[in-house]
Amino acid sequence: MAEAAPLLGPDAVRLGCTAPDRTDAVRQAGELLVGLGAVAPAYADAMQEREQSLSSFVGEGFAIPHGTDEARGWVHHAALAFLQFPEGVDWDGQDVRACVAIAASADEHVGVMSTLAQVLLDAELAEELRTTTDPDRVLQILAPAPADEDEEETT
Amino acid sequence: MPSIDGKDIKSIVVACEAGMGSSVLLTSTLAKQLKPHGVAVTHSPVNRLTDDTADVVLCHQGLVNRARQAAPNSVVIPFQMFMGDPAFAKVTTAIADGGTLDG
Repeated sequence: MAEAAPLLGPDAVRLGCTAPDRTDAVRQAGELLVGLGAVAPAYADAMQEREQSLSSFVGEGFAIPHGTDEARGWVHHAALAFLQFPEGVDWDGQDVRACVAIAASADEHVGVMSTLAQVLLDAELAEELRTTTDPDRVLQILAPAPADEDEEETT
Repeated sequence: MPSIDGKDIKSIVVACEAGMGSSVLLTSTLAKQLKPHGVAVTHSPVNRLTDDTADVVLCHQGLVNRARQAAPNSVVIPFQMFMGDPAFAKVTTAIADGGTLDG
């Protein structure tokens, strides 16, 4: 398989962000994905809609804002964005310190999500993502898990 | 309400609203845990579920009614937290050690 561009690149990492509330944090995440050329502005609206129907808080101070099933058509290309909020954002009653925003039309991002799932089970790595001031560390920690690890029996 | 014995579970689908966020996160974790037991774990948007999708459907509490409507004969197990919810332990224990799941 050809080497694809990374889903999470240096231009998609924003550290030290501040947001007065969840709506503003999701707006920042949506604007970042729009700015990356990954999604149309309508996708950012769907991210707010999804957040209102069901919070994307996943634990350990992390949220994963993303669009709705219907909004997949607004995704130009799959991309992820990382936004860190060191002062915290009130996320429907939960304290969120970092967001991994998702734009995906299929399963392109499964490798990174698999890594994130592992990070959420590792208190030290989760803390590092919430507090690091080095964007390269974010990219290192969230490097996609090798796909063949999960698929070795099916191929 | 349908029920299933842990040893009969061969497939689990994690359903969420969009099928691209939380369900993907959870699927990768569960797939690793259940692979030794020969259980396939996939994910799906809740509105694309059917009775044929999987033996067991895991979904957030807020989506449980929609999941049961979409897959009335599947065992639907709700959870509230994406990490460490007791529902996951219940399912993995039933598969590993036997036991009946109702849902």
